[in-house]
Amino acid sequence: MTYQEAAEHAFGQAVSFDPQILRSYDHDLGEMPRPLMALIQHRPHTVVVARSAADVATALSLAKRYDVPVTPRGQASAGYGGAIPSRGGMVLDLSNCNRILAVDADKNTVDVEPGVVWEDLSRALAPHGLDNRVCPTSAPSSTVGGWFAMGGVGIGSLRYGSIRDSVLEIDVAGLDGTIRTFAGADMEPFHQTCGGLGVITRLRLACRPAEAILPLAVRLPDAAAAARFLETLATTPAAYSASLVNAGYCALRAQAEGHRPAITSGFLVSIALLAPQADTAAIARLASDCGGEVLDDAVAAQEWEGRYYPMRIKKIGPSALVGEFFIPFEGFAATSADLTAALPDDAFGLEAFAVRGGKLAVLVYILDDAKALLYPLRMAKAMIPLRLAARHGGAPYATGMWFSALAKGIYGPDKYERIARLKTARDSRDLLNPGSIGGPWLPFLPIISLSRCILWGTACLAPLAARLSYTRRRATKHPGATA
Amino acid sequence: MSTQEQSPTARDAALAKMLAEAVDTCARCGFCKVSCPTYPFGGGFETFSPRAKVAFLKDYFEGRDVLTPEWVDRLYRCTTCERCQTVCQTAIPLVALWESVRADIVTKGLGPMPAHKKLRALAEKHGNPYGESASRQSQWLSPEHHPMEAADILIFGGCTASYRMPSMLQTGVTILTRLGVPYAYAGGEEHCCASPLLRTGQLDVAGELIGKNLDLFARTGARTLVTPCGGCSKTLKHDYPVWAEKLGKPFDVTVRHFSEVYVDLLRQGRIKPSVAVNKTVTFHDPCHVGRSQGLFDEPREILAAIPGIKLLEMPRCRESSRCCGAGGGVKANYPQMAAAIARERLDEAVATGADTLVTMCPFCQGSFSQAIKESEASIGLSGLEELLLASLRQ
Repeated sequence: MTYQEAAEHAFGQAVSFDPQILRSYDHDLGEMPRPLMALIQHRPHTVVVARSAADVATALSLAKRYDVPVTPRGQASAGYGGAIPSRGGMVLDLSNCNRILAVDADKNTVDVEPGVVWEDLSRALAPHGLDNRVCPTSAPSSTVGGWFAMGGVGIGSLRYGSIRDSVLEIDVAGLDGTIRTFAGADMEPFHQTCGGLGVITRLRLACRPAEAILPLAVRLPDAAAAARFLETLATTPAAYSASLVNAGYCALRAQAEGHRPAITSGFLVSIALLAPQADTAAIARLASDCGGEVLDDAVAAQEWEGRYYPMRIKKIGPSALVGEFFIPFEGFAATSADLTAALPDDAFGLEAFAVRGGKLAVLVYILDDAKALLYPLRMAKAMIPLRLAARHGGAPYATGMWFSALAKGIYGPDKYERIARLKTARDSRDLLNPGSIGGPWLPFLPIISLSRCILWGTACLAPLAARLSYTRRRATKHPGATA
Repeated sequence: MSTQEQSPTARDAALAKMLAEAVDTCARCGFCKVSCPTYPFGGGFETFSPRAKVAFLKDYFEGRDVLTPEWVDRLYRCTTCERCQTVCQTAIPLVALWESVRADIVTKGLGPMPAHKKLRALAEKHGNPYGESASRQSQWLSPEHHPMEAADILIFGGCTASYRMPSMLQTGVTILTRLGVPYAYAGGEEHCCASPLLRTGQLDVAGELIGKNLDLFARTGARTLVTPCGGCSKTLKHDYPVWAEKLGKPFDVTVRHFSEVYVDLLRQGRIKPSVAVNKTVTFHDPCHVGRSQGLFDEPREILAAIPGIKLLEMPRCRESSRCCGAGGGVKANYPQMAAAIARERLDEAVATGADTLVTMCPFCQGSFSQAIKESEASIGLSGLEELLLASLRQ
């Protein structure tokens, strides 16, 4: 039996070899230049739509038997290449493995399949008096399994840390077709490795009581004041979530949405407090002590309601280069100042989430146009924020495929060694999401990592790229859009 | 904007350019994929999602891909419910995009789908896509109704309400009659509003029908058009002004869905619901009434004014409301998919524990009527007008 016959026998209508279907699976959120994409086999030859753990196990067994690389994929709503094939093969679409398996209201836990969408989960937990502890800003589409496999922080991370801190147990399918349960330190290697060691088929999450949220908005005069404010806020018992945006981001969003910006200078910190314990007077005092002020309730409500829409500004791009990094509170002001100096011609938008433990996860949006001739050159700008942050104690946010050369820095040496050992033991032929651990190799020189080439290349080009600005387009009201 | 830019050709070109630019802004976030009612019917493959369709169109506009019959089919598997557009991070005018591409498909001779061609043939021959004769258009009028020759208000029945699901139209006109609100009705002369033809990209015949209706409106001298249909009211509000300009015909009227008229009458104190209607209801926001026209509060205000009514909202309501599956020509060409979408929405309604599902669009009413019959669901179905009429003293 050929591979195709075996796949069709196993999955029937849930497998496709149709080139038109397959091309939907060759990209993620990021807009990478075509010459770069041409260096990897980003187009799969098979797509399997898994609907259960058994389907996942069957797909992996098949992959092993026929020596086919497998790239697991949730909603591909991150831009790190973690869901893009680097050696073709099979894409395992997990977005239909989306059942909520069990809710334990006594223990505040929920068991889910990996394709469950964060916002759907929040809705499903509500009748049980529970809610997600953390979720990404892409909660309306991104999946639980995907966020764990990518690693991430977001809404709620001020109180609850990263997604890793809210996952209690996982089931992982291996190439041998078996599914094993991992908990505690044993599941650590499966976090952030994009399915490179196995495909997650179930997660047990810790939930929080569904308390009402009180949003507040505070304007701080500068980055140092914002960091000082957040540092103290983190110790407030009612603090659930905090994010900040710079005035540049507010201006871009206001332009995209057609209204006046909420602030015209400094930083806007959007806070979510657990309402029953909220002490707004204390927050106002803290803001005042840091030289800031509490803004109107309407601004706070607007920021909270718009928390899932950070990409609005792309409307005036039409593309956006995104640099992402972690930075300790104490390094934020210097990094912010360096960024302003390094990108003199770009009105960049900066958004950051406060994370338990005294750090910020920062996204820097630099608008651009992917269709422009110089875009591949200007893409080097996306690495500037990370390089500057590194000078002040910063670290990369995630690996995916594109940043796999930075894996040791992201995972830490111990975890990195452990992952490497497991990779050898579980997947010696590198079939599980090849490229996500160790990186894809240059096709004409397969001893050099493509990820490392990207780092070197962008480092060399960054000074030039920083000088290349582009003309932003004006946001227009679309005639087809309705009220 | 220059005069030249305002010409129809230049405007069409500008629209095409704008849509091509809009496609570039797609954030690929997938919010549209998760919320699309038709995506799950593509076997779970990403390719059937709005996000993938946008990615395809980007390549298509840039000449890197071609329209194949498979892509034509995928692009017609959309109810134009506007949910994708509502959740879009970068506010892409997705419905305008889908409709423009369908028009392009028709121009190239690659579409529309077989059932849509039949709609066209019937509309060309009879003036309505059901193939009914003009003489039957006013069959819903009861002896109680007394339309005037001319009045400020002109009732626009719409094909589905006139020929297939007349209760909303009939009840609405009864309410106006009992309140002594004068209205005119041009039964027999009314043509299809052209919504099904516009949504399926058949612009030439749509233009002909719209032109005939524009002439009718001008002839009657009406200043307000009132219709019970979500599709008609959306089309009359949003498409007719553009087409009137394109065709060089006057369109100096205000368009109102019946819900807007009732709310006005309530606020003026002319409607005084006083008879208790003891029902626990859930309200389904029709896509073309809610998302297209922003009429979310109006139906709820009417329900709140009726004594005895208890409203239980479905989790997906207002802007998040789920489609009934009928729009965009889907019910005509993909009846099984439309029926499955309606059943899913019906399940949500039943899960609220309500005894009655209430809506304000004949298309939705038709979809749910069929779904209730097929699934034997234990829930009643009612137009909002019927509840309102029941609460008025005779």
